Amino acid sequence: MMLNLKIKNTLLSASAALLFFVTGCSKVEYKKIDDPAYLRVFNNLNYKIGTDNKDEMLPFLTMLIDPEMGQDGIPLNASVKGDFLDQREPYAPPYPSHVGSGTTKNNPEYPGRENVLVGPVLNGYDLSSWAQIPSGKHRIVFMFRPKNQVPFFDLETKLKKNVLIDTTIVLDSKEVYTLHVLQKDYRTKKNGIYLRKENFQKLPLSDSLVYVNFYNMSSKGYWQADNDAKGASAFGMGALGGGLRDEMNIFLSLYKNASPLPSGRIPGYGGKYLTTLKRNSEVLEVSPYFSFPLFADGSSNGIRTEMWQRFDFFAPGMDLTNNPYGMNSPNTDNNWASLNCFMAGKTPQPGMENTVNLPNMVVNIHSGIYNPRSFATVNTIEIVNGRAYLTTIQRKYAPPVY
Amino acid sequence: MNIKKTGNTLLFLLPILLVLGLSSCKHTDLEIDKPNENFRPAGDFVKNNYDLSLFSAAMEKAGFTQKLNGTGPFTILAPSNEAFNLIGITRPSDFDKMNPDSLKFLVGSHILDRRLLSQDIPVNGIDIRYHTLAETEVYTSVFSGAEDPMIFFNGSYVSRLNVKIANGNLFVLKRVMKSSAKTTVQSWLAARPQYSIFVSALKKFGYWDELTSEGPYTIFAPKNEVFEANGLTAEVIAGLKPDRYIRSRLVGCYVFRKKHFFVSDFYVLTQINNDGGYGGFIEDDTYFMTIGANAGLYYKGNSSYSIYVRTAKNYPYDPVGSAGCDVPAGIDNLTDNGIVQDLKGLLVLPEQAYKNN
Repeated sequence: MMLNLKIKNTLLSASAALLFFVTGCSKVEYKKIDDPAYLRVFNNLNYKIGTDNKDEMLPFLTMLIDPEMGQDGIPLNASVKGDFLDQREPYAPPYPSHVGSGTTKNNPEYPGRENVLVGPVLNGYDLSSWAQIPSGKHRIVFMFRPKNQVPFFDLETKLKKNVLIDTTIVLDSKEVYTLHVLQKDYRTKKNGIYLRKENFQKLPLSDSLVYVNFYNMSSKGYWQADNDAKGASAFGMGALGGGLRDEMNIFLSLYKNASPLPSGRIPGYGGKYLTTLKRNSEVLEVSPYFSFPLFADGSSNGIRTEMWQRFDFFAPGMDLTNNPYGMNSPNTDNNWASLNCFMAGKTPQPGMENTVNLPNMVVNIHSGIYNPRSFATVNTIEIVNGRAYLTTIQRKYAPPVY
Repeated sequence: MNIKKTGNTLLFLLPILLVLGLSSCKHTDLEIDKPNENFRPAGDFVKNNYDLSLFSAAMEKAGFTQKLNGTGPFTILAPSNEAFNLIGITRPSDFDKMNPDSLKFLVGSHILDRRLLSQDIPVNGIDIRYHTLAETEVYTSVFSGAEDPMIFFNGSYVSRLNVKIANGNLFVLKRVMKSSAKTTVQSWLAARPQYSIFVSALKKFGYWDELTSEGPYTIFAPKNEVFEANGLTAEVIAGLKPDRYIRSRLVGCYVFRKKHFFVSDFYVLTQINNDGGYGGFIEDDTYFMTIGANAGLYYKGNSSYSIYVRTAKNYPYDPVGSAGCDVPAGIDNLTDNGIVQDLKGLLVLPEQAYKNN
């Protein structure tokens, strides 16, 4: 009898709980964008606050797509908003590394920290660093904003008036775009945008080769400008700080392991000519991809390699054999600059003091039974006004087995 | 049965009795040090502080005391008596000589209509603006890397931080913030006869008319006595033929367009990111000029600056001229469209700015 009562009680409370759960359910409305294009945005305008420019507006931006403008040209609303768009970071990794990490609101790229619908895995490539934007013609506006934590539309009216760029773009359905905010002319300080329709997802790229292409999107007249005025001698800028000449030859060297000595170069890849790089911040064509084998080092086991990459940019007529400049001098008269893609891009190589450091293009990660296993990637190196940026795109890979 | 029931009732009552018994215990008064709630409000606090007696007199005369004893919140940027002495005010009666509206503006522009603690100012912030009771904005720059942050309001060094008062906060300033209501750099210079030769040079070489525009401008202005010491009297300036001189070098080197320099800015930016020294070509010229400054704690809040002009940026070059100012009364004169800094020397003499034939 007593037991019966207990069971009854339990049943009663259980059904009450069930009722709770049932009424607590609600239909989840999934956002969906029909016919999306995939867009990733970088703010390539750099700044350092000094006495000379403290009265100028910081290129700390808000991107508004299809804004609704009120009176006096003050935006009231926008269908897409990318706020707190700060200067970009040297490395854009193949996975979305910004969302959910860090306490700052400053966003080194769009979507970056923004919680928006992102791209799928397209043809094996993870597009989760690209935001979905409805395809078609859009008005896109970049606004200056003060560097604080207040969302753009909550700012005071007088702070919402400063337009950097107001233009239109056309995005095709299911295409992948990178959009850059750039300085077009160093002397006049004219700014503009650069929208590139990427094609890596359509190319028959091998997964045993590492691919890289190059852009020099520096502003006109940057490399000729005075080194002090453009902050070329700041720490870490290396010989690249002064900028690349408008036409430079690129040479690739691959190194077997951490040793930076010439003897550590992999045979066949000791200063191999790749291409000629021309400054171009107007024509929006994709540069051709160049490749080298993931396991160029014949002594590696075919699973993992320690190989790292070095790129030398030489003025026409020069190469590794007739380079008159010292490895530790940042003053190379814009004739030579170099990049090391080594480890996480934080470790300078001894004896290569004037080199800019970026992360290794080869991704080493736990996959399957191998920890780590090396993966080939598709890379883009962009040189903008004395700085180098590496964007790495990776295919989906097998999850780790523990 | 009955006994059992009574016993049960007793047993039931026992805890209640116990509770009653315990609660009836006598409590001795528990003494806790109460936090002092008797902070004085802003008005009274300033009044009772001997080092702020001149500011208190100014407040009283401008009719702010009542308001500042109200709910607030306020932040008082109170110049010390020493700061008033630097601009020639040594007694409360000296305020009687001032125009009442100017005095009201002066006091009002030293009071923020918010409670601002030093930690509320963004770290290493430059030109952060706060609204004042005079409807102006105070430019605030801070170097946060020191033990106590080095704060400058309109270029005036804060010698004492965060004096908490009932309705806000108080900072003690080393210097009176010199701003004037509804003035431009042009009207500021025009109102001061000691700069008349400089004004005539600006007019003659075509720099005068633009000084009413939005700016901001920073003007380094030599007084008449400086010109005269270099043999450039009003008559000599009047006799100069503008087309024979490189005007940007001769006069333009004193006028900085789209720049807004408090003397402390050079120092603060040097401390923050080592980018404080100004170096740049004179506009449209090959001559190069640099500006450096001292301010802040190590200089006891005394600001000074120097400007050097040379014939080229990189060596080899010849020095052309140098001048500066270390007199507190002369620097950081804020107007609506810029700042005027007194300059105790000339940078370029007419014979150094001849056009080559």
